[in-house]
Formats: sequence, C-alpha cells, structure tokens
Amino acid sequence: MRSLDRAWIRLLRKEWRELLASRAWWVFLFLMGPLVGVSFISAVRTYAEASGWGGTSAGVGEAFSPLVGIWAPTFSACEIGAAFLLPFVAIRLVSGDRQSGALKLELQHPMSALARMAAKALVLFAGWFITLSAAAMAVALWLSYGGSLYWPELVTVVLGHLLNAGLVIALGVAAASVAENPSTAAILTLAVTVGTWIIGFIAAVHGGVWERAVDYTPTAMVAQFQHGLVRLDVVLIALILIVAGLGLGGIWMRLGVAVRRRVCESMALGAVTVAAIFVCKFARASWDMSENRMNSFSQADERVLQQIRHPLKIEAHLAPEDPRRTDLEHRVFSKLRRTLPEVEIRYVSATSVGLFEQTNPHYGEICYRLGGRSRISRATSQEAVLATIYELAGLPPPGEGSEDIFRGHPLAVPPKGAAVVFYLAWPAVVAALGRLG
Amino acid sequence: MNITPQGEPESSPETLVRITGMGKNYGDLIAVRDVTFSIRKGEILGVIGPNGAGKTTLLECVAGVQPAAAGNVTFGDSSGNGQARSSFLFYIPDGIAPWPHQSVRWAIDFAVGFFGGRRDLLSEVTHELHLAPLLGKTVASLSKGQRKRLLLAIALLAPQPVVLIDEPFEGLDLRQGRELEATLRKHVFAGKTLVLSIHQITVAARICDRFVLLSDGKLVAEGTREELFQAASCRPGHAPLRDFEEVFLALT
Repeated sequence: MRSLDRAWIRLLRKEWRELLASRAWWVFLFLMGPLVGVSFISAVRTYAEASGWGGTSAGVGEAFSPLVGIWAPTFSACEIGAAFLLPFVAIRLVSGDRQSGALKLELQHPMSALARMAAKALVLFAGWFITLSAAAMAVALWLSYGGSLYWPELVTVVLGHLLNAGLVIALGVAAASVAENPSTAAILTLAVTVGTWIIGFIAAVHGGVWERAVDYTPTAMVAQFQHGLVRLDVVLIALILIVAGLGLGGIWMRLGVAVRRRVCESMALGAVTVAAIFVCKFARASWDMSENRMNSFSQADERVLQQIRHPLKIEAHLAPEDPRRTDLEHRVFSKLRRTLPEVEIRYVSATSVGLFEQTNPHYGEICYRLGGRSRISRATSQEAVLATIYELAGLPPPGEGSEDIFRGHPLAVPPKGAAVVFYLAWPAVVAALGRLG
Repeated sequence: MNITPQGEPESSPETLVRITGMGKNYGDLIAVRDVTFSIRKGEILGVIGPNGAGKTTLLECVAGVQPAAAGNVTFGDSSGNGQARSSFLFYIPDGIAPWPHQSVRWAIDFAVGFFGGRRDLLSEVTHELHLAPLLGKTVASLSKGQRKRLLLAIALLAPQPVVLIDEPFEGLDLRQGRELEATLRKHVFAGKTLVLSIHQITVAARICDRFVLLSDGKLVAEGTREELFQAASCRPGHAPLRDFEEVFLALT
C-alpha cells in the first residue's frame, strides 16, 4: 500500500512536470494577464465614471457593488480562458501520454485508473489556480486604489469559477480519453461547450424543461456565483459532473480493457450520474453571499414571508421571451423559491415570443393561490408581488426603515498602473519563466 | 519433441507464464488466432514471424495493454488478473518516445521509482547501454537508436522477472546490436526471462533459446532452433535446409 502511495506521488510529480512542459499551459498563462487586464481596466473605468469620475454627477454610483461592477466582469476573463484555453491544456496532458506511448508503460503499474485520473485532475487544478494569479493581481490593484472588498462574495465568485474549471477539466480529460486523437478530443470538448450555449438559447425561446436545465450549464452556473448566490443543488450537480467526467476518463484510459466492457461501464456511470443529479435537484439550500443581498428579499420581508404556512401556487401567463417574465423571474420568483418552503411557480404561454398572445385577455396575468384564496395581478415589480402575497396570506407588510440599507461603495479612481501590470509586466514575467522552465 | 502448432499448452516445471488460446481481431481482420505457448524461466524466447504475423499484437495482449478477444494468461499458479500480470510481466513497446519533454536521466529515474525497479543496477545498465552521454538530453531529441537504448534500460531495470520487448534491435547498428546481445544474455544469467519480438531472423537465431513462430496470426511452431529445423525438414517437398532463414521460410 505504501509503495502504491509512493508511486502515486511520483505520478503526481510527473504530471506536474508534463504540465510545465506543456506549451498549451504557458499560452494559457500568458494570455490570462491581458485578458484579465482588459476586463479589469474597463470595469474599474466604468465603476469610476459611475462614481463621479470625469464629470459624471456624483452619487450615481451609490449602491454600486464591486461584486457586479468589478469582480463579475474581471473574472469573466477566467470564464473565457476556461472555455477556450483550459480544454487544450487538459487534452494535452491526457493525449500526450497516449501519443508518446508513455501510457502503455504507465498502465502496467497496478494503480487504479481513478488514482491516475486524480493525479491529472489535481495538477490541472493547480495549473488553473496559477493562471488565477492574474485575477489575484486585479484584487491587489483594486485594494491599492482604496476599493472596498467583501471577501465572502469574492470567494463565491472564485468558487463558481473553480467549479467551472472543474467541469472543463473533466470534460477535456474524458474527451481526450475517449478519442484517440487530440484534435478529435478538442472538437468534442468545444461541441459540448457550444451545446450548452445552444441549450441556453433554446431555453430563452422555449422555456419549460430547457429553462430548468439551463441553470446547470456552466455559463448559468458561473452567472449565479457572480451574483453572490451559492445554490447547494448547483454545487452538488457540478461536483457530480466533475467526478463523472473524470470517471469516464478513467474508464477509457484503460487500453487493456475490451471496448465493449468500457462502453457498458460508461453507460452504468451515465445512469448513476443521471440518478444522482435527479436526487440533487431536490436540495434546496442556498446562500446569498452578496454584501447587498441582491439574491434575497429584505430581512423584514423574509421574516413576514416565513410566517406563511400554506403552499403558494403562482401561474404566470408570460412567454419565455417576454422581458417581463425575465424580470419577474430574476427579481422576484428566484428569491421567493429561496425564501418559501413550499412554492410552485408555473409559466403558461402558447408561443415563445408572446407577441400575438397579447390579444388574449389573460396574457400577462399572474394568478396567486394560497390557502384556498386567489388573486390575479399584472404587476411584475417586487413590491407589488410581495404586497399581493401578504394580502392573500392576511399578513401585514413589514414597516420601512427597520434595517440597514446598502449604500454601495463608490470609487472614482482610474485604473492607474493596471495596463503596465497586465500588458507589459505579466507577459514579460510569464515569457521569462517559460524560457527558464 | 516440443513443436506444438495449435496444440495443447505444454506444462513444464520451468514454466513461468502460460498463454492459452490467445486471439485478437481488429474488426474483420484476425490478427492473432488461438495462440498457445509458454514462457520458461531464464530463457530468451523469440517471437518471430513475417511482417503482419501478429507479433506485436500478441505481446500487447499478453502484457494486457491491449484487450484480447480470447485466451488466458496464467502466471505460475495464479490467473492473469492485473495484479499478477503487473508483478510478473513488463512490456516495452516498439517505436514509443515516452515523456518526450523530459530528460533521459529523469525518464530512467521515474521508471525505476514508479515501477519499483532495480536502482542497484542503474549505473551498470547505463554503462552497458552507453546512456551516460545522453542523460541530459530530452527524450524527444534522441535518435531512433538512442531512444531504443533508453527503452531497453527501462526494461532491464524493471522489477518483473519476465520482460517482453518488441523489436529490441530496431534502430541499433551492428556493433550496438552485438553488444546488446551480450547485455541481454548477461541479464538472463542474472535471473531475467526475456521475450523478444524480432523480425531479423539471423539475430533471433543467435540470441534466442527458443522460438514462437507466427504466420498470419497463427502459431506455426514453438521450440528450440534444432526442433524448428527438424519440423521444417519433415515438411514434404523441401530441399535440405542450410540455415535458420531457410527454416523460417519453410515454416511460414
């Protein structure tokens, strides 16, 4: 057992050396600086302008949060890197062994495929973390400007991108193991990435089951974390998909096992994954880590809503592409689902755009049912929806001014020195390190 | 008589590994068909045959780096599960350049450490295979012959008693080939058992103790040089055989 552990450590070191020898990873690292730089510089400039810099009237930036103003756009560079650069690093690390013939040697060690995959995944995660140092420099620069930093929301953003990177790594590893050729693996990986975007597009047009599925695509998942929302079901499903991807990679890495058996094992893994995802969808816990509670009602409203004991049923006659539906979903219904233990929300529409349904007298209506009583309203603002629910429940609305109001952290400072750091210093240091390596 | 084309496995107290009914096909193409033979302790067994006879496929199926369609590999008294296989056999494929971006020194050190190889033989094997001047070079920068010497070093340092090497003389010049023959023999004396897939018949005739002769994926003969001579001589319509090449041509 101890010799197996020692062999695994050696394998881990070998994977690390292979990562450092990989041009794909150095290109990824090199490009992350300018990518983060573009996003950060433009975000800081916009934030400064909104805060009164350059002639804008002061006060516009009030209630402006660095989470949405700075960290979401800055870290979006990591999302681009994860979608278009990280897969090639993962594919290179797996396919390289296969193409050089090293895999045929290494597979003769009795180590389990999962342990081999774990070594590759750990090294890939470490490699990704190093590329994240570009974003860490953005944080340091922001602090040097005197910007406000609320650590829980920054950690949440990083967690979202970590899970996203995990999904990309798992996908790349699985594709590289299944496909004999790295270019086929790259095509497979990009096809899946584009496929998730297509799901997002279909969801926006058709709604229904697609709308529920889109919550678990990497893009939507990252967006939730970038808004400071941590949903247990999303985290669990992402972890399951990561483990499943690495497991699939492990199954197909075993060249000495008959293809038919590997297919059967893959199907079994797929079935277990689907079942686990189905179970995880029932996990309802979520945490709003944003400083301004952007994913929650006010604490006073939450206290009143938690007094509702009956199930609340809502039927909204709005088409998927109707902007009122998007507004209602993001500003009210998503918060209701987090607050009320029993809430059932259903959208009703005959078309995807709702354009010709406007003549239908019921289009635009939102029907609320609670404890045998019902109300119909067309209002989509948070205040109006909550007022309707309080009225149905027979509860008094909370009084105003009973809690602290988030005033925001305006900062009218231009991104001084950021261009030098991200466009000159970063590429120079990475190029120098790459030559040394 | 030891010639057992398509016959039952011959049992011998010296048998280390027994391969029974090994078969492999790539779609409609049958690469290896019902091959049965044994590997004996302390021998150099040559797997010989014309191009496309199935030598590499057979070695890879025995080593477990390719799935066999049929057949069994038994090691002493234990069946061919992964654990037993990895403790008995080590296989070196032909034409690979493992860990191409790493140095030769690192590659050897990694192989010895990862597989639990013979670190005590490290300097001896490095010297025998003239690897010392190459230690600082990357694997990708090596010539074909140099790469082969690196792979042979990994093979000879492997802890397993049986080592299967695909085309060990490929890429080596005459002098290096002769030196390698002596080196391999030395390691066999020291306790290793070698299974070599060789397409140069004269080299095989010189170094191997016994042979497994394949043709079109089938086992044509198994035995010592003399036994193969005898088997070929028995074939009707053949002129008297002068050398091992003629034996090879007569049997394939």
